[in-house]
Formats: sequence, C-alpha cells, structure tokens
Amino acid sequence: LRRQRVEVNIELRKAKKDEQILKRRSISFSLMDESVSLGEEKRNEIIQLSLEEIVEAVNGSDTELQLQATQATRRMLSRQKDPPINQILELGIIPRLVEFLTHADNAPLQFEAAWALTNIASGTSDHTKAVVEGGAIPAFISLLSSQHMHISEQSVWALGNIAGDGPLYRDALINCNVIPPLLALVSPVTPVGFLRNITWTLSNLCRNKNPYPPLDAVKKVLPVLVCLMEHEDKDIISDSCWAVSYLTDGSNDRIQIVVDTGILPRLVELMASPELIIMTPALRAIGNVVTGTDEQTQAAIDAGVLAVLPHLLRHAKPTVQKEAAWTLSNIAAGPCQQIQQLITSGLLPPLMELLDKGDFKAQKEGVWAVANFTTGGTVEQVVELVQSGVLKPLLNLLLAKDSKTILVILDTISNFFLAAEKLGETERLCLLVEELGGLEKIEALQTHDNNMVYRAALSIIEKYFSGE
Amino acid sequence: MFISDCRREFYDVIISQRVLLLVASDVDALCACKILQALFQCDHVQYTLVPVSGWQELETAFLEHKDQIKLLVKQDDDLSVPAYDDIFRDEEDEEEDSECDSDGSEPSEKRRRFEEDVIERTMKRRQRREWEARRQEIIFDYEQYEYHGTSSAMVMFDLAWIMSKDLNDMLWWAIVGLTDQWVQDKITQMKYVTDIGILQRHVSRHNHRNEDEENSLSIDCMRIAFEYDLRLALYQHWSLYESLCNTSYTSASLKLWSVQGQKRLQEFLADMGLPLKQVKQKFNSMDMSLKENLREMIEESANKFGMKDLRVQTFSIHFGFKNKFSASDIVYATASLMENIEKEGPETTNFIKALDSLSRGNLDKLHQGLDLAKKQLRAIQQTVASCICTNLVISQGPFLYCSLMEGTPDVKLFSKPVSLCLLSKYLLKSFVCSTKNKRCKLLPLIMAAPMDVEQGTVIMVGIPPETESSDKKNFFGRAFEKAADSTNSRTLHNHFDMSIIELKTEDRSKFLDALISLLS
Repeated sequence: LRRQRVEVNIELRKAKKDEQILKRRSISFSLMDESVSLGEEKRNEIIQLSLEEIVEAVNGSDTELQLQATQATRRMLSRQKDPPINQILELGIIPRLVEFLTHADNAPLQFEAAWALTNIASGTSDHTKAVVEGGAIPAFISLLSSQHMHISEQSVWALGNIAGDGPLYRDALINCNVIPPLLALVSPVTPVGFLRNITWTLSNLCRNKNPYPPLDAVKKVLPVLVCLMEHEDKDIISDSCWAVSYLTDGSNDRIQIVVDTGILPRLVELMASPELIIMTPALRAIGNVVTGTDEQTQAAIDAGVLAVLPHLLRHAKPTVQKEAAWTLSNIAAGPCQQIQQLITSGLLPPLMELLDKGDFKAQKEGVWAVANFTTGGTVEQVVELVQSGVLKPLLNLLLAKDSKTILVILDTISNFFLAAEKLGETERLCLLVEELGGLEKIEALQTHDNNMVYRAALSIIEKYFSGE
Repeated sequence: MFISDCRREFYDVIISQRVLLLVASDVDALCACKILQALFQCDHVQYTLVPVSGWQELETAFLEHKDQIKLLVKQDDDLSVPAYDDIFRDEEDEEEDSECDSDGSEPSEKRRRFEEDVIERTMKRRQRREWEARRQEIIFDYEQYEYHGTSSAMVMFDLAWIMSKDLNDMLWWAIVGLTDQWVQDKITQMKYVTDIGILQRHVSRHNHRNEDEENSLSIDCMRIAFEYDLRLALYQHWSLYESLCNTSYTSASLKLWSVQGQKRLQEFLADMGLPLKQVKQKFNSMDMSLKENLREMIEESANKFGMKDLRVQTFSIHFGFKNKFSASDIVYATASLMENIEKEGPETTNFIKALDSLSRGNLDKLHQGLDLAKKQLRAIQQTVASCICTNLVISQGPFLYCSLMEGTPDVKLFSKPVSLCLLSKYLLKSFVCSTKNKRCKLLPLIMAAPMDVEQGTVIMVGIPPETESSDKKNFFGRAFEKAADSTNSRTLHNHFDMSIIELKTEDRSKFLDALISLLS
C-alpha cells in the first residue's frame, strides 16, 4: 500500500531546527540600491550608540537621530556572530520601528527599519512574535508596493521570516491578503536576487501542515511557481520545487491541484538534474505525487519518472537512494499495469543492486517495493521478479536488526510461496530458498524476540518446510 | 592530534585514565616508552603496552581496544608538523564563508540578513581561495617529504622536566633516543648539536660534580658524563682494530674494502704509534699508557688521513664499579636485540628484551645486545665491501640501486628494517667514497633484500643522497606509493617510515621501472 512519507519529513525538519544555521543567499542589489545604502554610510560615519541613546532617539521626533538609531540597531543585528536580538527586544522599540515603516517620506528610515525588523523576526518564535505583535504584518504587506525596490525586497524578506515561523502566522499573512501584491512583484524584468527572495517567501507560504495552507491561496500561488520553475537560476528553481513538494505533501485533492497544472514533466526533468539542490526537491515532489491515487501515479509515469529512477536508485548519496526507493515502492503498490511498466522500464536490475549493496535505509524501502510488487503483481510478474534474482539479497536482509523489515520480508516470502503454489512449483521454491541460505535464517527467526516475527517465521516453516 | 601544551593537554588528561601505549620498533620510541613508564609508575597510572611495528599493527591494536580509547597518541619520531592555522580552519570561519547550501537540504525557515558588502564578500572569497592554495602547497610538501623532528624520548623527558619529575635515568634514555636518531642518520648535524646542547644542561644539573663525592662510588649510583668521544662503534667493548674496521666513517674514509685501504689503515695505526698487537686486543686490556691520550692522538692522525670528524659530542653513563657505556653503544645493542633474527619465543619477546635492556638492572641483556651488535656491524661491513668490490651498486638514472641476493651471507639480518637502513647508509657512504663518478655521488640509494623467501617478498628501502648539507628529507615514501599504484604492484607500506616497503619479488622490475620514470 502507498505510504506517506511522514517519518522522513520529521527527520529533515528537526535536523534543520537543531542546526539553526541560517543560510545566506547571494543577493545582488540593483545598482540604485547599492548607492543608496552606501551613500548613507559615507555621509554618516559609523556612530556607535549606546542602547539608551538608541531608545531615546527612536522615541524622539528628530528624523536624523531616528535614522541614526535605526541604522545602529540594524548594524548590531546584522553582525556575523551573536546578534543581540534579545537585548533589542527588551528595549521595547519594536512597535516604533514598525511605525517607521509607514514613513513614506523617509525611504532610508523605512529601509533600515525593515532590515532591522527582518533580522529580529529571523530569530526564535518569540522574536518573530514580538515583531508581529508590533503590527508588522499589515505594514510590510503595504510596503510590498513601495516604489523603492530595495524596500519592497526587504519587506518580502521580512514577510518570509514571519511566514516561516509556522502555519499560524502564515495564514495570518494570507488572510491579510499578502498574496496578490507579492505575486505582482514577479515579472520578466525583476532582478534575479529579488526573484530569489520572492520564491523563498512563496515557499514558506506553501510550507507547514496542521493546518495546510488554504486551498484558494495555493491555487493562486501555483501558476507563478510553475513559471518560476522555468527560470534558469538554480536557487529559484530549487525553492520553487521545494514549494511544490510542500504542496504535494498532503491529501490526494491537494496532489490533484498540482497535477492539474501540468507541472509533472518539468518536475521529472528536474529530477534528472545533476544539481543536488534541484534534484532533491523535485524527487521529493514526485515521490509525494505517487503516494496519491493510481491516476495521479499514472500521470507521474506518463511524465517519464521511470526513466530517471534507475540512476537515482544508484546514487552516491544515501538519502537520494532512499527517496528513490520509497518512490519506487509506492509505484509498485499500484495495479499490475503499472507494475508491468516498472518491469519494462528496466527497474528490476537497479532494485536488485540496491537490495544487495545499497544504503541500509534505502534497502528498507526496497524491501517495501518488493513486498508491494508481490501483493499487486500477477503470477507472471512475480515469477519475473524471482528470476531477476531478488531472493538472494532479500533473504540476506533477514539478518537486519529491524523487526518491521523482517516482517515485511517474511510476508513477501509468503507471497512468493502463494504464487509458487498456483504454479505447482512449491518444491522448487523451497529448494531455492534453502540453497540461498534462507531456510536457516528463517529457522533462526523462530527464536526472535518479536512475537510477530517468530510467529510469521514459524508459519512459513510449518507450511512449506515441514518435510513430509 | 595537535598538542601544544604537553602537560595540560596530554599528561594531565591521561593521568586519571587507563592508558594504551602503542610503541613503534625503534630505539628512540623504546626510550620514550621507558620514560613514560617511569612517569606512570610514579603516578600510579595503569597502562597496557603494545609493540607495533607498522600501521597495520597499530590499526589492529586500536580496533581491539577502540571501545575504550578516548585519546590516541602514537609514540614515534614525530615528524615536523606545519602550523595549525595553516591547515585547519575553525568552524566559525567555515560558517562565514559557506555559500548557498549545495547538499540538497531544505531551505531555512527564517533567514537573517547580514552586514555585508558584495565587495567584502568577494574579497573574503579571494582570500579563502589563496589560503586554500597555500594550504595545498604546505600539505603537499609535508606529505611529499618525510623527515624527523625532535626525538620522542627527548619530548617525553621535557614533559617529565616540566612536571619536575625528571630523573637521571630518564635523562639517559633521552640521550639514547637522540643518539639513535644520529646513528640512523635521521637528523641533521645542526639539529644533533643543538639537542646535545639542551641535554648538556640537564646533565650538568643532574650530575653536578661536587655533589655526593662519596656516593659516586656506590653501586646504585649512576652518573652521566659529557664526552667528546671517538665515533668508533662499540670500541670500548671491542678491540680498537675491530672498531676501526667496522665503523662506517673510518671504513669508508680509508676505503678498507680495498688492498690500498688496508695499507692505509696500517699507516694510520703506525702514525699513532699503536702496535697492531695492542690494537687487536680487547680495548680494556690495552696498555694504560696507550689509552691515556688516545682521543687526542687519534684525532690528530685522523686529520692527516682526511678524517676530520672522528670525534663527536656525546654522553656516557657510569654505574656500579666498572660499567661504562657510551650512548651509541646502547643504541647499537638495543637495536640488535630488537631485530634479533633468532626467534626466542613469541613475536614480542625481542621487543620486550630490548626494552628491558635499557634498564640498568639488566646488564646481561645489554651484553647480549652488544654481542649481537658486533655481529651486525661486522656483517654490514662485509656486505658493504662485497657490494663495492663486485660492483653491485648500479646507477639507474635518478637513483642508485643495490639488491642483495638470496644466499648472500648474513642476508637474513637485513630482512629487518633498521638493519637494512643501517646497511644502506653505510653502503652509500662507502660508495660515495669509492666512486669517481661525480654525478653518482649525489644520488639517493634504493636497497633491496629478500624478506621472506617462502612468501616471495622483498624489503626495499630508499635513503636520501649523502651530501654535506643534506636536510635529511626523504621523498621515497610518496614515490614508492605512486610507483606501486601505477603498476598495480603488490606492496605493503606498513612501516611508519614510508620509505620502507615490502613487495612481491615478481613485481620488483616493473616497480623499479615505474620509479625510474617517475623520478627522471
């Protein structure tokens, strides 16, 4: 049966949170922006302000001082190591900084405030909360339409951080109507750096479950994502794929919305990319799609996924092997016509290799693939599976420490015997299993700790190896 | 691992643990081991001693104990290491310079915007690239040449001294360790002299002349003395004649493999006024009158015969009533015990015996070692003479090559690495003195000897050229690796000294051919 990729999701997400390494993108300023910010700095020498001075200036009415203080705050928050986010937060100046965002007559101030708030919002959930509670959401959404590109870009960034905090703020943004002005920023003349930011923010708007993003928002964003996936920049492609992977990670109707955009062929094409940052999310997205209905899986097959999988099953990176195997296992859970397509597309040999020498986690998925194959396949297909040499590596995996895997293998072996019975070839299969050292392994499992394992092993022995 | 503070980062850490001591098979390592053992005894540290003769044994021993291993420090001649900052980059720096993730992980949920100028970033990137390039050079150099740093025994003694736990015995072992490096020609003359100076100061401190005049005669007491002694191997435990014949310096300078050489020896002795009969007697039995100014006399005559460095700065040890040994005596004795080809029990027996012989209480073992050493030195000189006389040393272009045939007398002795190296060094020295070919004098030497006849293996060693200003750097380790690789030769690069390898006899020719083209 088709299995959702629950485990893996949690694994990866958790790892990211634990790391807390903030990735940097190379953002290219437009020339105008550069001169603006550089100009500012050349005019004012770097003035060190104490925290008290900052509070005073920010709360005062002198615009020059306001700017100096905000800039000083921004600088503190953008240094490489240990930005004093908590300290700034405790100053209580966030609402004031949010207010500065509305000073349409003072673009430099808006920009510095936006940057400072972005960095505060990039911290913990508490930090982001402080920014939101300061009223930042409507202010930033408003700034998306600023005539100054560097300001609207900074707002995109800030909103990305807010959306990334979790489904609550994500939906708050969506309810505040963030999507139309955000999408309006995407045009053929938008600079690459800006587009990267937008794509990333969009991906955060598609991200997270419990709840999933609202369907109408998804439907609005998807066409733009499809577009962005055709861009030539690797980061933009990558983040669009990630966004699509989030959108396919849900119920079948959500998968259908994505399939309906006709994006599958492009995703399969990207799956074959040598760039890991592109291939990984594309594979994930397609992997999600084939957890859906048989029709949705067929759409993926029609888009050419079977031609790309063999290479990925043999990939050097264990996580790629695993995802590819998981994808394969879900396709193998389909009707026998789809199983036939697996065979004709030459997926058995790489599967055998994987079972033999792949990474262990990938091998576990491979075991599922074989199990599903034997459940949904015709007798002829099962025979072909045996002829491809699956028994040897499969029986070897009985030595694994993982009970679940062992159970699946035993189940599969039962299926092989069921097929053999239909053909009257039970004895041959017994011999084969014995020759391959499988009998001793199964016998050994009769003393396994796990109840279900030993019973399953016992059942096989009794049924087929009780030696009349 | 890199340790800068021997006491805090090493000794203080292990003192509370159970220690696994892996010791290599050379005299310096043994001496370092003795010092550590003494310190451990003092501080009640539990330890297990495992002799390892190469990387494989090291790995095996490590794997056997790995569950308990927390800190691993290998006893070996420490090779000079590059500065930390030139090779390693701290994690923080790593983070700064990491660009877009290329490992396919999910985009971050939140991102902070850094204070960066595009120009600044480009500069950092350029700096990083330069640093990388320099690093590559350094690592290449480091890995390309093999050379030796300070003696391990001296390092251990230094540790003991820092902790104010140094004893005279430990000092002696440090001296022996340094002398081992000198005997094996592993360090430059300058380094040797510098280290002698360092040890001199310690010797003065421990062996103050005015102190304990009465006690200096007691049996348990030992004294170390600085000597500007003759560099004639084992001469005080042999006869002067034998020593002159079997010391490579004199043998090579006088060309004793030839008839003229022998004549020159006679002239040399005559010049010193030493009757042959006396000189052939055991040294201790020589007339006192002849021994009186022996050193100065020999030095004077030696100068006339082109031997300007017949004396060398070293140390000697006195204990009991008549026990007097020079540091080099101990080196030769210990090395011979360690590589004794007579199998006296399990593999490690020789190692243990050699280790024991370094303690003053085991005079019998020491004497056994001295006897073996004499045999070894004789064998070396005879083999050298034979090789030179039969023109066994041939030039292959970029290096000289000499191969000992199976059946050559004493060839079994030279199946051991230290002995073979010693033979090679002496052979090269002699060859350089014997040949008129100016180019050949500057070449390095590769020496091969049968190792295990049954298994069909050969032991091969490469040594750098014999020049006055030699920095003793040896590139053969790398060269051997590359040659083996390119010809798929079955080689074993097990020795800690990468310039010593074993290979299958059948692969020898293609291996050599590859070496020749590699080094041409």
